[in-house]
Amino acid sequence: MNKSELPFLSASDLSHLIQSSEISPVEATEAYLERIEAEDFRYNSYLTVMREQALADATKAELDIASGKSRGPMHGVPVAVKDQFWSKGVRSTGGSRILSDFVPNDDATVITNLRNAGAIVLGKTNMTEFAITGFSHRYSTPRNPWNLDTYTGGSSSGSGAATAGYLCASSLGEDTGGSIRFPATWCGLVGIRPSWGLVSRYGVMRGVWSMDTVGPISRTVEDAAITLNAIAGHDAKDPYSSRYPIPDYRESLGKDLKGLKVGIIKEFMDSDLVEPDVHQALTDSFAAIRELGATVEEVSIPLSIDAGVSSAILLAVEPALAQKEWLNQHIEEYGHDVRNLLLTGSLIPAQAYYKAQQLRSMLRQQVLDSFNQYDALVLPTAGKAAQPIMEDPPITSKESSSRLGFLFTRIFNLANCPAISVPCGFDDSNMPVGLQIGALPRGEGTLFKIAHAYEQATPWHTSRPREVQYASRSS
Amino acid sequence: MADLTKDEIRAMGKAVGLDIQDPELTEVMYSLNALLESLDAINPPGLNEVEPLPIILPPA
Repeated sequence: MNKSELPFLSASDLSHLIQSSEISPVEATEAYLERIEAEDFRYNSYLTVMREQALADATKAELDIASGKSRGPMHGVPVAVKDQFWSKGVRSTGGSRILSDFVPNDDATVITNLRNAGAIVLGKTNMTEFAITGFSHRYSTPRNPWNLDTYTGGSSSGSGAATAGYLCASSLGEDTGGSIRFPATWCGLVGIRPSWGLVSRYGVMRGVWSMDTVGPISRTVEDAAITLNAIAGHDAKDPYSSRYPIPDYRESLGKDLKGLKVGIIKEFMDSDLVEPDVHQALTDSFAAIRELGATVEEVSIPLSIDAGVSSAILLAVEPALAQKEWLNQHIEEYGHDVRNLLLTGSLIPAQAYYKAQQLRSMLRQQVLDSFNQYDALVLPTAGKAAQPIMEDPPITSKESSSRLGFLFTRIFNLANCPAISVPCGFDDSNMPVGLQIGALPRGEGTLFKIAHAYEQATPWHTSRPREVQYASRSS
Repeated sequence: MADLTKDEIRAMGKAVGLDIQDPELTEVMYSLNALLESLDAINPPGLNEVEPLPIILPPA
């Protein structure tokens, strides 16, 4: 196989070739580095490329594998990580100008775990400022490989662009209010927000402490499964890290869906926030899941449609507190919409925050009650596909103060349940649309089972972004 | 509920050590009023009996 073709393999296929010594980790890493150098000016997906360290790690992986010391399916596989995670000796900006020179002296546990699994970290990906909003970038705005004039979705925007643009085999994002599933759905990728506590938050720049979750953004369900396996597990450095044993998620793949009960959350499908073409793609996906053997029927979760409001309170108050000193000292260094959000969050009355937590509690109970009847819940990840990149507009009315009403991810952040987004078709502009599946805490196996069966029964994962150059210019 | 005015927003900022001036002041006024208005409209039965949920501990 020509080296320039390696980046177009799935992480799983690349892994098989590396494990059988048909491809060396050095070849794969060089192929991605060449592609990043030749192509990333189109996507703005990386903030820092770790060329020397990646090549050194790849050389070590090659030696280890040649001497029979395999560390599993991610060994030798090149990945990208969001700049929200500390990386020892490497600039970690969190997408902010305030941290433009910040070089941590420790790695985030997710980076340590990736390296322990033998993965090759290619670099740090672009993101919205402090992962707080879905759009505001302080360095450059990542471009969607399906249409360079559209957003990738955020906040893990660079991870979405790099994965969809074949500039890494798999990547990591962080999801507080939907920041893994949002770029996954708009970039035609698979993104999973794991159960809270499954993946360590040590070295992850904080957003909302009870909702921050690290997870994979990948091109296939199997790639997401092996990436999650590499980072999940107990960490003594995170006081709320779960001790729950981590299964091999590949064991959930390749199953039929007979006997499973799946609930369609009617409040989202009935909402006028879902565009008709997105609605049709979702309706077709529900039929496909039914054909795979699952029972699929509507379920009502009354508070689900209000998740955006209660989460907006939490997503404003908690970062405002976390960044109180910077807000006082560096207010001009924030971008427009993050500055507004942090100032607003600083003024939200305690009673409103308390009420938002009460609503969260009620919503969580409604979600958990639904799992007494259903194995999984399904809904759109977002009500519309990727939107054009535009200037951060001024806020001139109450109505113009929110730009994310179409994002339906927050129900699972508030309930602390895992959820996955998997491609389920295209809108009328041929932009990707995502099916979101949620399950009980620690139900990642159920998510992978349904998502993989659906993925393999449909053609969406075989489609490639139109804007991608499929032959490297440097080869 | 009545919308907060710019003067009230400025005073609230002062109370938490923030000197908020225009153009931020106007935008914060719209954002805060929008959030509080939306939250005020959500009143499911039994809400006041619910204990708030600040965090969910994973099982040991």
